Amino acid sequence: MVKYGKDLGAAHSGLSDWYLQRVSAVILALLLPWVFVLLWVLALDGLSQQALFALLDSLAVRIAHTLLILALTIHAYIGLKVMIEDYVHTGMRVLLMGMVMVGMGLFAIWWLSLIWAWGG
Amino acid sequence: MTIQLNIYRFNPENDSKPYMQYYEVAISKKGMKLLDALNDIKWNMDGTLTFRRSCGEGVCGSDGMNINGVNGLACITPVEGLKQPIQLRPLPSMNVIRDLVVDTTHFFDQYRQIKPWLQAYTPTPEHERLQSPEERVELDGAYECIMCGCCTTSCPSWWWNGDRFMGPAVLLQADRWLKDSRDEAAGERLDQLEDAFKLYRCHQIMNCMEACPKELNPTQAINHIKRMLLNRQS
Ligand code: SF4
Ligand code: SF4
Ligand code: FES
Repeated sequence: MVKYGKDLGAAHSGLSDWYLQRVSAVILALLLPWVFVLLWVLALDGLSQQALFALLDSLAVRIAHTLLILALTIHAYIGLKVMIEDYVHTGMRVLLMGMVMVGMGLFAIWWLSLIWAWGG
Repeated sequence: MTIQLNIYRFNPENDSKPYMQYYEVAISKKGMKLLDALNDIKWNMDGTLTFRRSCGEGVCGSDGMNINGVNGLACITPVEGLKQPIQLRPLPSMNVIRDLVVDTTHFFDQYRQIKPWLQAYTPTPEHERLQSPEERVELDGAYECIMCGCCTTSCPSWWWNGDRFMGPAVLLQADRWLKDSRDEAAGERLDQLEDAFKLYRCHQIMNCMEACPKELNPTQAINHIKRMLLNRQS
């Protein structure tokens, strides 16, 4: 016989994950294409290195860049968390989620510091 | 004219593991249903074959089974058009009690958890709690559910996390009570559902909708619950 636990009520946790996943998806859909546009222009030699730095340095681009990195890390974190919740069923679940969270957090801090330390 | 069937057999008292048994049944009438074939086997060939059925017309929800890989009700599935030999298995992911009979204890325990009855706190009116025709229409697409379990046992999220994920059938019923104009416990109902496992394990895979023999749409109901939770928060 499979033993099932008691009904322990609700953890009141799912809604925020679900909502953040959708908001971050919208931000990604709006911002990510520009990264590819930029790469495309660079591949066609349409932008000098100086011009590229100037572009990345501008306040508007820094803000957009920040939003993009935040949305990306949040989206990736929740996505991985959901996969872990789906498929990992032992105490490993919490450990793995913690590792993903720390990894994603470090990545975001590193990248954001690059964005804002740039040029100065 | 005959039809051929391969039926999952398992009797825990005698068998160490399940096996498939082959049967041939005569087509007895036009529009013959799969349940007619099962009854023919049980009554005329092999009385040990075990399956649940009651109404024989898609109302009681007791003969859900896996038919050629798709969950459905034997009593309303015409044998005509099914690829032969027809592969009949018990509903996936539930413990088999014997042959096509599965243990639904946990499934109905989850159903009980959502309190599938009218909860109202205002004083009972002298005659009855009335509902306008428009309010009644809100329940269309939910009240028809017969809790056959075809949807829930086809849901991958329930396979992996069925101990906590409520599954499409129960969530469709939860939504049915959330939508009922006479019910006054929407707040508590939502409180009970706002959980990463109970509700949000649904990833819109839509297997449930494809499996439902009553052509209901549990995915839509689940999305409606999510929207209600969002509206409550914002
Ligand atoms: S839509 Fe949701 S409930 Fe339906 S099968 Fe998919 S995960 Fe399960
Ligand atoms: S929604 Fe459909 S498949 Fe699911 S339990 Fe109800 S009737 Fe059966
Ligand atoms: S026997 Fe009642 S639903 Fe099939």
